[in-house]
Amino acid sequence: MFEWIRFIAGTGFLATGIVIFAIELYGAFHYDYVLNRMHMAAFGDTFGIGVSLVGLMLINGLDFTTLKMMLVILFLWCASPVSSHLIARLEAATNEKLEEHMEVEKE
Amino acid sequence: MSRKKTEKEYEKTFACHFFRWLHGEKDLYVGQMEMRPQEVYQESKEEAEKRQRAKNILLNKIYGRKKSKSIKYLELFYRLASILFCGILIYLLLLTVSWLPPIGVADRPVNNEVSKRYIEKGLEETGAINIVSGMILDYRAFDTLGESHVLFVATVTVLIMLRLDKKHDNGTDLSIEEAEANDRNYEPKNDAILQMSAYVLVPAIILFGIYVILNGHLGPGGGFSGGAIIGAGLILYLNAFGFQKTERFFTEKTYKWISFGSLSFYCIAKSYSFYTGANHIESMIPKGTPGAILSSGLILPLNIAVGLVVACTMYAFYAMFRKGGF
Repeated sequence: MFEWIRFIAGTGFLATGIVIFAIELYGAFHYDYVLNRMHMAAFGDTFGIGVSLVGLMLINGLDFTTLKMMLVILFLWCASPVSSHLIARLEAATNEKLEEHMEVEKE
Repeated sequence: MSRKKTEKEYEKTFACHFFRWLHGEKDLYVGQMEMRPQEVYQESKEEAEKRQRAKNILLNKIYGRKKSKSIKYLELFYRLASILFCGILIYLLLLTVSWLPPIGVADRPVNNEVSKRYIEKGLEETGAINIVSGMILDYRAFDTLGESHVLFVATVTVLIMLRLDKKHDNGTDLSIEEAEANDRNYEPKNDAILQMSAYVLVPAIILFGIYVILNGHLGPGGGFSGGAIIGAGLILYLNAFGFQKTERFFTEKTYKWISFGSLSFYCIAKSYSFYTGANHIESMIPKGTPGAILSSGLILPLNIAVGLVVACTMYAFYAMFRKGGF
């Protein structure tokens, strides 16, 4: 019984992750402006990967591999948002026509 | 009863868009995204003349083409000889390929006593559980020494080509400070988020690299992979905190001494080991018990030396391409 619950929960998480990746893909191709598309990409790279890995961890059960997967989640959650943030900052610093796409606070 | 739509109505539907995209009639990228096809570079007449003049000056002043005819002949000879050389090389390589034995035959020359010996006696003779480590750092250690030297020579070449002086010397090139300022013009400086994540990640990355190096003889890993991990950690630290922070512990002098020390240690240690081995003298280097961290003779120190060279080379490449020196 417990095995079945674990399996169903794990596959549920994995399926959710796949749906999130699908949303990410759609958003990355649907939007025009780079910051919107980058938002979608970063969303998939953090939330989608996190949920999928949690699903894999549930299916795998508690052992050393699970701990390693936890470390992978931690590492990806450090790396992906930071790199997206840096690229976004570069775009905001170099785009001269930023006002066309968003409200910019005047200094 | 079927619903009929006019063509204009149909063009707005999702199905129309989808099938047009599927048949390749509509490119999603064109006009929609922020990208333009690159224009073909067209040189104006003045620029072409200027380029030709610069080329002539180079040929005349540096190679002295006007002064001697022999250089012209040498150039011709050089071209002919290179074509001839390439032809011969292609012929030889194709000939060798035609002599190769077919795939999957049991008595191929690769399938000989060497690999058998590596697998059967590797643990006993080198003391390393990881047979690959035993191979590259014991049986074939000179090969690995050559690889480390290739890395070193590559850095030296990059240094020769990209090196900038600390100050202006003739007013044409940038100085190091200007190059850095120029390079970081648009880059976010002292980004708090990047600094925080580097603060958390860099120690873990470097520790993991050290673990990979020290475990090279016990499991997968070794000097090259561990050194690459440490180099990546150093580059992350440099990106987050800038050159001023890294120059407190890593300068050109550090690079020079670490590379020199590691390579010469490798060279001397392995020369000693090969000399004693070839002359059947007891080498006095303890093998230790296989599986312990301090075991397998020279492999662990050699792994550390290779790791240091690789880490420094990675960092030096990055610093050199970034601002032409460090």
